[in-house]
Amino acid sequence: MVGGRKSRSAGPVPPSTTLILDNGANTIKAGFVTDEKTDEPRVIPNCLARDRHKKVYIGSDLEKCKDFGEISFRRPVEKGFVVNWEAQKEIWDHEFFDDKAPQKCDPSETRLVLAEQPNSLPALQSHCDQMVFEEFGFASYYRGIGPAFNAYQDVQDMFRTPRAPDPIVELPAEVVLLVDSGYSHTTVTPILQGRPLHPAIRRLDVGGKLMTNYLTRLLSVRHFDMRNDTYIVNEMKEAACYVSLDFKGDLEKTWKGTRGERRESYLTGAGIAKDYVLPDSHTRFHGVVRDYEPAATSKARRLAGGVSTEDIITLRNERFAVPEVLFHPPDIGMRQPGLADLVMQSLSVLPVGLWPGLLANMVVVGGNALFDNFIQRLQTEILERVPDDCIVRVARPANPITSTYYGAANFAKHEHVEKLAVTKQEYEEHGAGWVARRFAAGLGVDS
Amino acid sequence: MNNFGVIELASTKTTHAPGWAYVPDTGPSQAAAALAPTNRKRAARNNQNTLSYSDVSARQDVKIRKELEQLDKDTHKDVNIPIPAKAGRVQQKHTPNVRKILQSQKTFANHLDDYQALLALAETNPAAAAAAALAAGVNNPVSKGGGGGTTAANSASGTPAPQQPPGGADKGGVGGSKRSAAAAKRAAAAEAKNKKKQPAQVEKGRRDEQEDVEMTDAPQTEEPTTETTGEVTGAEKEREGEGEGEREGVQPQQPQSYPRDGTILSAYQRPPPPSHPADNDPLLVSRVPPFPTDDELRALMTAPPLSYLDARAAWGDEERKYPARTFCDVCGYWGRVRCIKCGARVCALDCLDVHREECITRYGL
Repeated sequence: MVGGRKSRSAGPVPPSTTLILDNGANTIKAGFVTDEKTDEPRVIPNCLARDRHKKVYIGSDLEKCKDFGEISFRRPVEKGFVVNWEAQKEIWDHEFFDDKAPQKCDPSETRLVLAEQPNSLPALQSHCDQMVFEEFGFASYYRGIGPAFNAYQDVQDMFRTPRAPDPIVELPAEVVLLVDSGYSHTTVTPILQGRPLHPAIRRLDVGGKLMTNYLTRLLSVRHFDMRNDTYIVNEMKEAACYVSLDFKGDLEKTWKGTRGERRESYLTGAGIAKDYVLPDSHTRFHGVVRDYEPAATSKARRLAGGVSTEDIITLRNERFAVPEVLFHPPDIGMRQPGLADLVMQSLSVLPVGLWPGLLANMVVVGGNALFDNFIQRLQTEILERVPDDCIVRVARPANPITSTYYGAANFAKHEHVEKLAVTKQEYEEHGAGWVARRFAAGLGVDS
Repeated sequence: MNNFGVIELASTKTTHAPGWAYVPDTGPSQAAAALAPTNRKRAARNNQNTLSYSDVSARQDVKIRKELEQLDKDTHKDVNIPIPAKAGRVQQKHTPNVRKILQSQKTFANHLDDYQALLALAETNPAAAAAAALAAGVNNPVSKGGGGGTTAANSASGTPAPQQPPGGADKGGVGGSKRSAAAAKRAAAAEAKNKKKQPAQVEKGRRDEQEDVEMTDAPQTEEPTTETTGEVTGAEKEREGEGEGEREGVQPQQPQSYPRDGTILSAYQRPPPPSHPADNDPLLVSRVPPFPTDDELRALMTAPPLSYLDARAAWGDEERKYPARTFCDVCGYWGRVRCIKCGARVCALDCLDVHREECITRYGL
């Protein structure tokens, strides 16, 4: 146990400031919450990055980087869970605890609310608790699963449910089926009164990372080798990819045709083909999506004598074939069901009486929810699978990336946090095992 | 046994022949298949019809697995970015736990293997597993039983009868009585039934039916029958339908009630939707599933988390049935043609030509 330094906040008074950390694999969403106000979260890249000049960027330093060509990353979070605490401590120190940290935080007077992914390994959870108390020394701490925090939001507002003006919003929301599609994986979590229904949580190992890598592979086969430029490909994916509502039709439109044939839709692009101008790291540091111009394609331009120096990749079926992996993982040989079937698998372990409520309140969070048509596609696919009588509503919050943060911020103001949080004294008295059991037990039903 | 005169000398050196391993022999034997007389005409095409996810060959399996592993990596190449050394950093003293965690170079895969090993150990040797868990600081999550919350079940304010008409004040009084809110719900539902099937209700000499009788009076006197049934939501309509046949012998505590008798989820309190002339149409009656009881919900809400592997979505028989979607390796359109040499899929002759160029270079790999 840590000797000597007893924190000043000993006693029943909980710390007034709460640090909310949604410690994602790609970005950390962090901010302070007091009783009066909730900070806008800062979105910090959760990585150590090294560019081609061997310069190392930590966390938010990455925004100073201009040249993302051949940049490589070291991420402390693997599969959604903090695995490498050496790197994670470095990033946290840099962002929160160093003298010049952008979000200076005094752990001994702060409560930490940390969002983690569901179904973590006990060893990793225990490491996390030990680090929080023994290394950083937070006065009070709660580690809860990220999807469940989303229930502490005005979910009906996302659905634009007709209501009386100025309704009194009771938190947590009564019933939510939360789909969290992030960097490492996609999870489905049914939540009742803010309590996740653990037996029904299901995971699909398709996330943003896999889709970026898949796009990288497609581009490397069809255009040029981009395997060392994952960052650029990721930007391309975020800018240009969309979820197709008619996969067969779109695929047909982007086909060039049989030998010798050039289909009309292929030549004109059919509204699907887009030109992506790659960054050249001198004048342009981020890629740009342009409408497809058949005349300006590479061949004509090259023949004209290299008028322009821009590198253009014409994206055709890559635009929708990549997010299609979420809905149809067998396309890349992965033996897992698609997202709609994932939802059905999750529902199948629950009593049928809960289905109508869950289906009518589906919320999608996480970066992948930003793909165009994502929620429409999910809604249509689920409608095909459930009884006709069920109302299926799928919504996404205004910003699906920070949604968990805001949910956790509301949670930090809610009375539930007092029941769940563990103080440093309690940790020192009862040990890590007790803390882990307490967090695993959650709220229970009757509080 | 004289061993043909060869005497084996005791030696500590053991040699393992490199380059071979036992391989499980699944599928039909190639040698037997070669001997058996088969119709070789259009063998590829016939085989293709039955091709589904479950029978991709082992070689393709390995290829797919490697590709997936590649897709799962953070970076294309293994990178090692050390923590930058800072000049003004003072060496802090860490506790032993923290030092161990910071120095650990385990990856997630290592942790997962450890966890699986621990689970396997727990099956064979629980005592040793417990000791190992203690040593590793691993704590299996133990769910705390949800304590008794039934006392709250009696608070009628949380669950007034959902189909309560705005004018039915006396019903609220019943709900607030010593009887549980459940009784009110049952009574109210039975009231809906009552309007349609009054004789059947009279036949039933049940305790809760007696309550129903005192309940049903007020709405019936206030409004004509057709209008009140119009206000009844689809849920109650469904109960009417099943109540006629099945409910005679059913215990009142069964999860039949909708909204349920419990207190975990609060009941619908707002006025019901406006009536519609077709509300009584038997064709439009919707089936509403029985709502889970409080006990069921409590069990669900306090259940311990699944392990990492259990939470992974399973590949069910349902999905396995569907034929694989195959795509052109070159352009991404449907893979309609197969390369004779390597079996890769392409869409048409153009792409096949492109593919052949590299297929030749790959030949013999």
